[in-house]
Amino acid sequence: MSPPAAITRALEEIAGLGSVLTDPAALAAAAVDGVVPRWIVRPPAVEPVARVLALAAAESLAVSPRGAGTSLALGYPPRRLDLVLDLGRLDAVLDYVPEDMVASVQCGVSLDALAGRLGQHGQRLPLDPAPGGGRSVGGVLATAASGPLRLRYGTGRDLLLGVRFVQADGVTTWGGARVVKSVTGYDVPKLLVGSLGTLGILVEATVRLHPVPPAWGGWRWVFDAIPPAASFMAAVIDSPLQPERMVLLDVGAARAIGESGLSGRESAVAISVASAAEAVTAQREALMALAARHGGRVSEMGAGDWSRLSGALAGPIVIRLAGEPARLGPWLAALEHVARDGGIELVSVGEAGGGVLRAALRAPDGDGLPAAAWLAGAVSGLRAALAPEGGSLVVERAPRAVKDTVDVWGPIAPEPLAIMRRLKAEFDPAGILNPGRFVGGL
Amino acid sequence: MPAESTAPDPSLVRALEDIVGSRGVVASPEGRLTYECDMHTFYKGAPDVVVLPESAEQVAALVRLCRERGVPIVPRGSGTGLIGGAMAPRGGVMVSMTRMNRILEVDLPNRCATVQPGLINLWLSNATRPSGWFFAPDPSSQMVSSIGGNASTNAGGPHCLKYGITVNHVLGLQVVTGAGELVWLGGKVPERPGYDLTGVMVGAEGTLGLLTAVIVRLTHVPEAVRTLLASFASIEDASEAVSAIVAAGIIPAALEMIDDVMVRAIEEGVGAGYPKGAGAVLLIELDGPRAEIEAQSARVESLCWSHAALEVRVAADEAERALLWKGRKEAAGAVGRLTPNWLLQDAVVPRSRLPQIMREMQAIQQRHGLVLANVFHAGDGNLHPIICYDERNPGELERAKQVNEELLHACLALGGTVTGEHGVGLDKAKNLPHQFADADLNFMARLRRVFDPHGIMNPDKLLPSHPACGEGFRPARPELPRGAWV
Repeated sequence: MSPPAAITRALEEIAGLGSVLTDPAALAAAAVDGVVPRWIVRPPAVEPVARVLALAAAESLAVSPRGAGTSLALGYPPRRLDLVLDLGRLDAVLDYVPEDMVASVQCGVSLDALAGRLGQHGQRLPLDPAPGGGRSVGGVLATAASGPLRLRYGTGRDLLLGVRFVQADGVTTWGGARVVKSVTGYDVPKLLVGSLGTLGILVEATVRLHPVPPAWGGWRWVFDAIPPAASFMAAVIDSPLQPERMVLLDVGAARAIGESGLSGRESAVAISVASAAEAVTAQREALMALAARHGGRVSEMGAGDWSRLSGALAGPIVIRLAGEPARLGPWLAALEHVARDGGIELVSVGEAGGGVLRAALRAPDGDGLPAAAWLAGAVSGLRAALAPEGGSLVVERAPRAVKDTVDVWGPIAPEPLAIMRRLKAEFDPAGILNPGRFVGGL
Repeated sequence: MPAESTAPDPSLVRALEDIVGSRGVVASPEGRLTYECDMHTFYKGAPDVVVLPESAEQVAALVRLCRERGVPIVPRGSGTGLIGGAMAPRGGVMVSMTRMNRILEVDLPNRCATVQPGLINLWLSNATRPSGWFFAPDPSSQMVSSIGGNASTNAGGPHCLKYGITVNHVLGLQVVTGAGELVWLGGKVPERPGYDLTGVMVGAEGTLGLLTAVIVRLTHVPEAVRTLLASFASIEDASEAVSAIVAAGIIPAALEMIDDVMVRAIEEGVGAGYPKGAGAVLLIELDGPRAEIEAQSARVESLCWSHAALEVRVAADEAERALLWKGRKEAAGAVGRLTPNWLLQDAVVPRSRLPQIMREMQAIQQRHGLVLANVFHAGDGNLHPIICYDERNPGELERAKQVNEELLHACLALGGTVTGEHGVGLDKAKNLPHQFADADLNFMARLRRVFDPHGIMNPDKLLPSHPACGEGFRPARPELPRGAWV
């Protein structure tokens, strides 16, 4: 390897003076799980990203990409880390023809900034992952992050049409198409969504957009217990109603959006509907009748409540439990049971349709961190229960000390994992892209 | 590209019979001839032997056998593909999935069903519709095409404008990879950590492995459906109406355009009640909650009128709706009344470029003196020009091919794609370098090798062949600063 000062000069030549940070405070702030990089590079364009990767490959530098930096806690601690590639300057909207309902953007653009552009034409990219719109498009795609809107619009897997990425050897590559419908060649975007930067660095994305419906309504219903809430949700799913969001809330989440006077055994369901005004009214009436039959007590759910819910999923530990969509209720009950046993405060939001239950866990005292032994037991107990239906539990956020004692990804079935290992070996043979952070330590 | 079918190696036939039984093997020349092409009859190549397995384990065993012997494998569902996909240019073993055609499980609480790959698309919806659910992907072939074939080609259909293409409806797969692994990918639980191998496998046209089971998402039957027919003086006027509908924030379930040539052919055939003499007809279907459909339907109707519609008709009942759709779905059959021979294009343009590509299409057909008929998915810009020719007239086939290529290049120049829903197969593999750079093709060739290290899975399909067997398309690497740091 070349001397560090020479590498710094080479990076400066590629990315420009002032785009390479080496001062200790900045480096410490960019640490991933306590592993401090030696360089932070903020390339101004795609071409320098490619050249940085080529240099990293030649010098065998381990690279971690970074978007808005909100979700760096996801994954195992890096096996090694030399260079943080900060993509925040790649924030341009490259091409947007409202009539096509397609936009091509650089991956560093934030969801909020993009929403501002699209909103002028009554359109949106319907992705609403926690903790909010500050997240970058690239980060959301690389982590396959989604939120309650997936019920109606799917996830990044459904919305990403084309992607430009830089491979581990610095070769800039395109996969997919710029039109809403294409089956030309392999669906490379699918491979990259959720790959956490381990196969390539996403630099541009072409996404499918949706119209912002003319009218909107949101409500929540409190039920005495989980089972009636769950059967209300099942009744909505098995009806021609088309909510855009439907989530199952535990008491902690219901309190976070202003429900008071709860005893602690209740559960709530929040729903939003977006359509023509007449249709919102009609669906509201149908939902009210259905909820009343299951004993739900209604209140309005304002637009701000949805972002408050996202925000409420913050805590020292955040887990994502994924099971069969129909079993959201039983899984919330299991989670509540485990938390109660450990004296842990829970805020939990379950997404109908996706079968995803996200929960923030906090101990009532001290730094809020649950005891490591309790967490390890809770995680392995829930994983064992989820395994028969093919479910999983991912610890999405945890301090480094916890990661040293708890397997944050959990096991992957050996046969698919073998294919994943071959993919990683093919596309990043030297292991310089986010080494060690993904499932199976890829 | 006719391939000489060779006599099957007797020891291979015996080994296959050991796996699937003698009734599951077709080795006679007449029997094999049935399998020499899909619906793209240009491309003929009979396999050396056809096997009809009944279980995933049998499929795994026969893939391992072929891998050991270096024999190519070609999967086949119902053979309704339009791309020269389910044919055997190099002979080898064709695996027909027609005996694996059962519904294994319907799980309504989880909105999904697990089926064998040979199950006919429409049979699944027929089974679940009484309970209020259906399988949304609806290629025009859905009465005969198989779900395994739909998943392998990532099939579309008129209603994918709203509901998405097949990949959006596949939750999991059981596959046998080219490396011989029998593995479940994805599953009923939609969210799972790791690479999305299911998403990669859908649309891979059998080049990565064979599908032995498919877990598909079911969609709730909408409360209301409304079908409108609007006619226009010209295809440009109709295209403007399409843009206006989409700009109004309305995503119809389907938005189909039929040009005058096609309208005539359909009316002379099935007689769907389309207005003769119109320059273009739009078939617009809205579905969803009743109140939404009523609001949108009124809006769509007024947008058509304000964009110079000659006539707007709303199907009064289910019978009229079915008739309007009958014309669209049988369009391909009606072409026979127009022309003895035809080529079908499947390119896509950005929706905003529809008027422009229609003008270019006119110019191309005039230049070559051939008739084009159009019936296509206007809502997503997926064109299906039918290039009419008569092979008995010297030179006409060559001109038709020329028109086909020029159309494709015109679509790509407007930012489009080579194939929107039919797939690549043998037919369009040669076109990929027009859309993708060497780096992109190289990535795809390496992806293929990860799943199929011996290159036995449906060779020659999906990617252009290269003298160096996928080692080609070597991309240039970016330059490093020279001498700056040493």
